[in-house]
Amino acid sequence: MENITFRIRRYDGTNTWVQEYRLPYEKGKTILWALTKIKDEIDPTLNFTSACRHAICGSCGVKVNGHAFLACKTSLDKLLETFDTSVLYFEPLGNYDVVRDLVVDWKPKMEKMKKIKPWLLPSREGSIEEGFRQSKQQFAKISSSTDCILCGICASECGQLAINDGGYLEPFIINKAYRFAVDSRDNAPEEHIRPVLENELWKCIHCMQCVSKCPKEIPLTDEIAYLRKETMKMGEVHNQGARHAYAFYHDVKKWGRLNEMTLPIKTDGMVTTLRKRIPFAYRMIVKGKINPLRLPKAVKGIKGVRKIYQQVEEESKS
Amino acid sequence: MRYAFFPGCTLESAAAELMISTKKVASALGIELIELEGWTCCGATHLQDVDEQLALAINARNIALAEQLNAPLLTVCNTCTLMLRTAKKTLDENLQLKEITNQRLSSANVEYQGTSEVTHLLWALIQDYGLENLRAKVKRPLKGLKVANFYGCHIIRPQEVLGFENHMNPRSMEMVVEALGAESVEFSQRLACCGFHAVFPAEKEVMRLTALNCLSPKKAGAHCIVTPCPLCQMQLDMYQPDAQKGCRDNITMPVLHLPQLIGLALGFEPEELAINRHIVDAIPVLRQHIGVI
Ligand code: SF4
Ligand code: SF4
Ligand code: FES
Repeated sequence: MENITFRIRRYDGTNTWVQEYRLPYEKGKTILWALTKIKDEIDPTLNFTSACRHAICGSCGVKVNGHAFLACKTSLDKLLETFDTSVLYFEPLGNYDVVRDLVVDWKPKMEKMKKIKPWLLPSREGSIEEGFRQSKQQFAKISSSTDCILCGICASECGQLAINDGGYLEPFIINKAYRFAVDSRDNAPEEHIRPVLENELWKCIHCMQCVSKCPKEIPLTDEIAYLRKETMKMGEVHNQGARHAYAFYHDVKKWGRLNEMTLPIKTDGMVTTLRKRIPFAYRMIVKGKINPLRLPKAVKGIKGVRKIYQQVEEESKS
Repeated sequence: MRYAFFPGCTLESAAAELMISTKKVASALGIELIELEGWTCCGATHLQDVDEQLALAINARNIALAEQLNAPLLTVCNTCTLMLRTAKKTLDENLQLKEITNQRLSSANVEYQGTSEVTHLLWALIQDYGLENLRAKVKRPLKGLKVANFYGCHIIRPQEVLGFENHMNPRSMEMVVEALGAESVEFSQRLACCGFHAVFPAEKEVMRLTALNCLSPKKAGAHCIVTPCPLCQMQLDMYQPDAQKGCRDNITMPVLHLPQLIGLALGFEPEELAINRHIVDAIPVLRQHIGVI
């Protein structure tokens, strides 16, 4: 390959257009190298952000061929190989308002972040003068979540944010809530967790985009599962998400399998199910997709499954 | 080729047509599927919200059952694949946790060793069976049929768990579809999520997504969607009439399971593959483009 073609979505505050640039191929370069070279040598009007060039500041997130990357960390060779092409299409991060070209507006996200109180609500075990001691094990709990560099890549790719009206929290905000909720120096985990619950925690669609794309490999979906579990421990079990999760929990314990017939009732309650799902159920029955008379039978070895349940439950109590 | 078969809950109920078509196709290809006796639900990404250790243990038990058969574990559901492979990776990489989990499993008289791989039919066809062999079995090349490959999340993401191919540009579906003689259509929602796992708490959003997921392949000129995941199939097919209500454009798109598409190429008629069970009738487009009865 002699040249790489960069097709960049431009925006000047009013108009949007796609502009094409071409650079001779050089081995071992990054996305940021290309953007800088275009700006320095071809078109000084091109706008993008970057500061540290070392995957620390989080300012250089950009979308290439439909996927978000950290520009300074991602090699062009990897992209050319992944997409098997010499044409790369650049866009600003998704799920953000665009300011200019590849520059996005962080302000609304930072405003939203305040909801989860992204700061320590300190315990009395330390003081400003003496500091707050943390054991290795206690630090281990926050070590991965504190790696977040606020690059916004998870938010760009989030499947729920793409279809949401604005209530759902960006994965990095959820991460921040988790980070303070599990910090041994924080005295009020509920104050970080409750806002996450109240801001549509159960609407995560499990698309795994955040966890796949995060350049810092933060296990965001595990954090979501943890926060959900904590809300249930706080007594928040009367919502669709919690009831849905518990339906699986109880069905597997009882039969080893899910009973799909009773799942809507367990999740939504009988009244809502009858009100909302009759036309749906009707078309399913007509097509033979569900049989309302089918009762699940317990699987072979169910006693063993229940013993596993018992053991795990006992361990978590002790 | 012999596999321990993990059907997953949906194949027993709302996606029974996938059970029918998978068995037909496997036997026509000479692939032996032995259904695991006593398998349990994988937890479908919900169980870990209550207790992740339990989700790990029950899937360790599922894999251990396959190990007793001395065979790789094969699924036809993306989410089952994700759950089982997550358990396997966790246990194989953490010997201490493996030991603790085995203590838990001992009350059920099973032991997880880590000897059985967990795979998906789509991967097995490419990796074990071979596309050339598949091509040789085609009796009715699906020439003229334009197919939108809807991968679904849990066969590609997260990459460290699924790992069969690059999650940003997978090609396995295209490879199989082309071996069957059909044409793959590129469309913007190809790697999108179907939203199935949040259809209760996020109904409004998921319906929006369903409409988008049908409209995108339609605009790209596809005759039908095909997916390797029964949950994606259910979301896009069963809920399509509901998604249509909130959308001005006509979003109608038939949605096939991957084994149904393979079955058509092997010469089966739609009814034999239970294609008549779908909510959105797929038979007219099949009649028009590949001349099924
Ligand atoms: S898994 Fe949930 S939080 Fe992560 S990107 Fe998908 S919808 Fe967003
Ligand atoms: S969680 Fe990961 S992807 Fe999201 S902002 Fe932080 S570093 Fe970036
Ligand atoms: S320039 Fe700072 S993270 Fe890329």
